[in-house]
Amino acid sequence: MNAAAPPDDTLIRIRGLTTVLNGKKVFDALDLDIPRGKVTAIMGPSGTGKTTLLKHITGQMHGDAGQILVDGQNVPELSREALYALREKIGYLFQNSALLTDFDVFENVAFPLRQHTKLPEVLIRNLVLTKLQAVGLRGAAGLMPSELSGGMARRVALARAIVFDPMLILYDEPFVGLDPIALNQVLKLIRTLNETLGITSVLVAHELDAIKQVADHIFLIANGKVVAQGDPRTIADDGSPWTRQFFGGEADGPVPFQYPAGDYAEALGFPRRGA
Amino acid sequence: MNARIERDNIVTQALGQIGNCGVFLLQILAAIPRSLRYGRETVRQLWFVGAMSLIIIMTCGLFVGMVLELQLYHVLSMFGSTSMSGTVVAIATYRELGPVVTALLFAGRAGTAITAEIGLMRATDQISAMELMAVDPLAYVAAPRFLAGLVAMPLLCCVFCALAVFGGHLVGVSWLGIDNGTFWSNMTATVDVWQDIVSGVVWKSLAFGAVVALIAVFQGYTAPPTSEGVAYATTRTVVASSIAILALDFVLTAFLM
Repeated sequence: MNAAAPPDDTLIRIRGLTTVLNGKKVFDALDLDIPRGKVTAIMGPSGTGKTTLLKHITGQMHGDAGQILVDGQNVPELSREALYALREKIGYLFQNSALLTDFDVFENVAFPLRQHTKLPEVLIRNLVLTKLQAVGLRGAAGLMPSELSGGMARRVALARAIVFDPMLILYDEPFVGLDPIALNQVLKLIRTLNETLGITSVLVAHELDAIKQVADHIFLIANGKVVAQGDPRTIADDGSPWTRQFFGGEADGPVPFQYPAGDYAEALGFPRRGA
Repeated sequence: MNARIERDNIVTQALGQIGNCGVFLLQILAAIPRSLRYGRETVRQLWFVGAMSLIIIMTCGLFVGMVLELQLYHVLSMFGSTSMSGTVVAIATYRELGPVVTALLFAGRAGTAITAEIGLMRATDQISAMELMAVDPLAYVAAPRFLAGLVAMPLLCCVFCALAVFGGHLVGVSWLGIDNGTFWSNMTATVDVWQDIVSGVVWKSLAFGAVVALIAVFQGYTAPPTSEGVAYATTRTVVASSIAILALDFVLTAFLM
């Protein structure tokens, strides 16, 4: 079923991933290795398929070609049962937290435990409170999701994502909309989880300053490929036009500012020159 | 020419929706064995779609019975047969009005709520979150709501019919002066348990419950994840359910009567 198993230090190995969505090539024979036990950031201009890549890793989407090996298993080829078994070992933090609105904070964190284990209530309670304590929200256990701020909801979602002590956590834009205090808390949590539990973390984000504080390695994706990779502190200085434009925030460069369109003057109804 | 193309598109879309709905039904049926472990969720949904619909069903049942008795009394008085009005109320309710009106009310009250709830769950990534927590949303979200609709409809129909007969009794006996004994004895002598109650109240309401619950869950599950998408899906639940109930009623009546 699977090709050669990845070496132990690589948790996710992507080879030749090609995906076409609505006629647009999102990934063009993408190759990427994510090391085990490290914090890896995936960056790139909007619309380059960073979240789509996370969906490929979790098996929510499948590409047109290529392999996605997660812990040695080729995700596109997994049966439903095998995929669900793999997902039990993966935590996923949504950009909008995706808390279950019918349940309070405690029940949201307890949800995966109740679905997949037959643990006694006392143990579930202790596990949930431990995770909530880790994200600083034990006192909010009785609140409903509608009563939480954006930062608090993100931390509850993080507690839910780690309740099974997963081998891998995928963070989709974890810093968006956070105030500086909440941002620092989330950064500290990501680092602490990585260091204390040895969890492999993959972040999709745009905030280079935040990424520099937490990530061990960065992949810059554009035009369906990895165009740059390296250490967060030095990647911006590698001299390539991609990193210069992306990290320098320049409007002009390999990534066009304008979405492909016809002639501007013609669209405004002006006569063509020389016509 | 354009109108014809548009008409063809509408027909194609409608047929496509019916086909997708059929495939979705098979997926739900396949998920039912897996959903049995979520018995608590099914009971919660049964409370939500069944018990919470009781007030509207009871109120409407009472008034439908009262109006029917009032109309029949005036018509039957021309033939000196007012003592049969209770019987006609009962037969009309058991055979047609009970299942059909209950199903229409059920679609408006519970069906729309199911669609909006599932649609919003999808729009806020709750369905995706379940999938990523290795919880099958078909088994946890769709199947319990479908089962709850299937079980709740016949029970609600029984309540509707009981209240309609009570309403008829209230108007006919207490208000218009029909003899109490005649009212009940004519009814018990004429109403057939299998022909009227089982085929009407049980079979029809089971079928309507399945159809309404399926449409409601399907529309919510496939609603575009936008506020407009959820709004359209909710509207489609009412429209599609109403048409399906009335069309299915004709088919069932033709086969059962």
